[in-house]
Amino acid sequence: MIQRVNPDLKKYLVKYGIQDWNECFHCGNCTAICPLTDQGFLFPRKAIRQVQMGLKTSLASNFDPWLCYYCGECSETCPRDANPGELMMSLRRYLTSVYDWTGFSKLFYTKKIWEFLTIIILFILVIASFVVWFPKEQIANFTTYIGDHSFLKVIEAGDLIMAAVVAFVLISNIFRMWYLTILKPKYKVPFIEYFRGIYVLPGVFASQISFRKCDTDGRLYWVNHLLLMTGYTLMFILVVVFLPKFQVSEVYNWYHWQRLLGYYATFGLLFGLSAMFIGRWRKKSEKFKFSHLSDWLFIIMLFLTTLTGILVHIFRLADMPYATYYLYIIHLAVLVPMICVEVPFSKWSHLAYRPFSIYFYYLKKAALSKQHKSKLAAAA
Amino acid sequence: MEEKVNTAVCFCQHTNGHTDVVDISEVAAYAEEIPGVRTVWYTSSLPIADTREITRMIMEEGISRIVLAGEQPGMYKTVFAKSLAAAGMKAENVVQAGFREHGAIKKSDTDRAKAILACAVYGVPFENAAIPEESDVHPDTLVIGGGISGIQASLEIADGNQKVYLLEKTGTIGGHMAMFDKTFPTLDCAACILTPKMVEVGQHPNIDLMTYCEVLGVSGEAGNYKVRILKKSKRVDQATCIGCGTCMEKCPKKAPSEFDAEISMRKAIYIPFPQAVPNKYLIDADNCTYVENGKCGICVKVCPVPDCIDLDQQDEEVEITVGNIVVATGFKPFDAKHVDQFGYGKFPNVITSLEFERLINAAGPTSGNIVFRSQDKKGNWIFNDESASPKSIALIHCVGSRDENYNKYCSKVCCMYSLKLAHLAKEKLPDAEVSEYYIDMRSFGKGYEEFYERIDNEGINIIRGRTAKIEESGDQLLLRSEDIEGGRLIEQKVDMVVLAVGLEARDDSEELAKMLGIAQDENGWFNETNFLSDPVGTFAGGITIAGVCQGPKDIPDSVAQGSAAASRVLQSIIKGKVKKSIKDISLDYIESNAKKLSKIMEDKL
Repeated sequence: MIQRVNPDLKKYLVKYGIQDWNECFHCGNCTAICPLTDQGFLFPRKAIRQVQMGLKTSLASNFDPWLCYYCGECSETCPRDANPGELMMSLRRYLTSVYDWTGFSKLFYTKKIWEFLTIIILFILVIASFVVWFPKEQIANFTTYIGDHSFLKVIEAGDLIMAAVVAFVLISNIFRMWYLTILKPKYKVPFIEYFRGIYVLPGVFASQISFRKCDTDGRLYWVNHLLLMTGYTLMFILVVVFLPKFQVSEVYNWYHWQRLLGYYATFGLLFGLSAMFIGRWRKKSEKFKFSHLSDWLFIIMLFLTTLTGILVHIFRLADMPYATYYLYIIHLAVLVPMICVEVPFSKWSHLAYRPFSIYFYYLKKAALSKQHKSKLAAAA
Repeated sequence: MEEKVNTAVCFCQHTNGHTDVVDISEVAAYAEEIPGVRTVWYTSSLPIADTREITRMIMEEGISRIVLAGEQPGMYKTVFAKSLAAAGMKAENVVQAGFREHGAIKKSDTDRAKAILACAVYGVPFENAAIPEESDVHPDTLVIGGGISGIQASLEIADGNQKVYLLEKTGTIGGHMAMFDKTFPTLDCAACILTPKMVEVGQHPNIDLMTYCEVLGVSGEAGNYKVRILKKSKRVDQATCIGCGTCMEKCPKKAPSEFDAEISMRKAIYIPFPQAVPNKYLIDADNCTYVENGKCGICVKVCPVPDCIDLDQQDEEVEITVGNIVVATGFKPFDAKHVDQFGYGKFPNVITSLEFERLINAAGPTSGNIVFRSQDKKGNWIFNDESASPKSIALIHCVGSRDENYNKYCSKVCCMYSLKLAHLAKEKLPDAEVSEYYIDMRSFGKGYEEFYERIDNEGINIIRGRTAKIEESGDQLLLRSEDIEGGRLIEQKVDMVVLAVGLEARDDSEELAKMLGIAQDENGWFNETNFLSDPVGTFAGGITIAGVCQGPKDIPDSVAQGSAAASRVLQSIIKGKVKKSIKDISLDYIESNAKKLSKIMEDKL
């Protein structure tokens, strides 16, 4: 593959958080200490090399950063303090912007002001639309009106439109990822492998089993992440897909399955977020030493969404219609920008790229082994 | 026509976060007071890449001369020379005031930095203005450390008919070199080179050999140092001991042998190794049962010489007067236990290079048989001659060196000794698979690159890539590394791993440096006066440094430094005078000297 060397790449990547990239003297320690590296997937050193040499094309087709869960072993034992772990983290940000064809991701990552502006505009829009559209007389009995059919129809429509837009952007970006990482570097993947490999996706998404290998220092980041992920996914499904069933006028018993699911999701979200917040605050663990603005926004926005959601629930149970109403608006006003900005364009997008990177990993391995076999056959 | 010289002083100091550095603001305030100084600049606020802008500043201020002041300001010289020339001035009028070069490093050296700057402004070389006074020199010399460097220095001075006290902390001279089997790159037998020198030291009429001794304190000044020395009691009369070894045979108490890098056991009454100088027995008080609880005394009973062993002998303190001191204290090997990933101390067959050196040595505990480590009856891990031999050995370079987590510097010798050890291992076990994992192969000396090529062709697996971790896998050890050149991951199973540990400054070097009034660098190595032009001198008068205590180096370099230090000592003895410490000269003295000299130079012009 012929490619142009881009000497300014590393300077540009600083905006995504890379640092100390030039310290590396290529001893290979990081690759060898990593619990996830495999023949043909020699990260993080390969990525460091690509950054140092300014190989933009190679970097774009390198999905290794998505395979890394940042246990921090490489950074801890790096003899040059070159911080390979943080480089992988920064490259995940960069790759998100590479896959995103709309350009919003690049804009949000490199120009913070735009990210803030977008969030604020969406926040105001949601509140404004409520002020304009919501029938004032219903505020007084909002605790029951919240499950009203006519009200739900509007919210659900909004939900579905938002979900469709986000899904469209994400799916098209995944296709771009596939194009950049498999098609463009000309890995000859046998067609049947696409179907054989599809079974990895749900399993990886549900279990994040390779993350477990990265709990090298005895702490259960995997459990933590799993709680957060399942909590989030569950809540997302409940409020987007099953909204008419979830948001109802009557108050079920506390042991009703819907409430239990909701409580589990809330607990998972709160627990996972607090652990992450404390970790990033204390900076003790290698993986939390450096925080990009996007990492903080991710935690804070999600935390605010969860918190307002809980408050809506409490006020509603306490039969306080006005408080419930205002918090409900704020809840939506935080939730909408979080989903619209974070999920397709920022840190949340890893929920799509990570499982797919493992799918592509499977495909690439199949292609490499086929190539290896044909080489052997040619030699024979 | 007299031309007025306008000088600009430019500070090029980067603190890099260090706090104990020369106080630049104080020096800058001083600089402004020196006549002829027009302005003070700082590189941190100058557009250093833009010569045009600097030229403009030079012309604006009417500068004709620039003094660059800072720790190592040389790197900025070109920029300013170009700018001066562009402004129509003489490019050679850029003068450096290098603080480090002239010994101003720490905050307490700020006065020295001022003096260095003053000399540069007056256009007088610092050495010419800062001339230390000389004092009469006592002809005797103390050499601290009985390794190859100290031995060399002692022999050269003693051969010059001068009296030498050679002080050694352990029971024998020889140092680390005595522990080695072969030397690189010639594969000479280390003992064959060293032991004749050791014997010569032992028999030399001009050398007073003081083994098992420590320096307690140093007072006085250059040319006349009073050194208090602790003579630890050996509890064996060195004059009457015939070295028969009966006592050692019967002694019931064992301790790890320091000379064998603790891979074998010795008795509490022992001789460090058969060729030790002095070749007499001594008692290790820390491990002697009698010293501990007063019961035992078997050695006294079996000793054929009456009154030779005195178990109640006490330590003694002596004071000697010397004119010069040569410091040749050497190093300590890096403690591989610090590197968790390699499991040294956890896996019995992960050993350090020094241990392997003893294992492979024909005079070592296994007579040169490379065997697995095994436990003796008491549970000590030792190398038993009867154990099996490994079928595969891997050597890992740069353990504790070139690593930000431990020591940043390169220990210089590990690449070469690892190649040597690989060769010796292959020689002793021709069927074994020997691998080496390195980051960069540093074969830096005469014949070294050729040595590397030779070993490379001997069927040794030399792999570029630092091993990241060692795990146990059944009876074997699993190494995980990246093969940088091959572009693949290597998971190799081997029987034995040798860690090429780096060199570190000794733990007691700080104490010694304080006693002697010499400086240490950030890694603990002793500071020389000038790295390039005076690698053995120190700022303390009459004190020279030699060997690894100045920085990692191999045997030829250590020997060369021993000789260099000896020549410095002999020079002062022949002259009868020694320069006092440059440290003691006051700022006023240097300043007035510089003024005087610059006046003389001006008058001549």
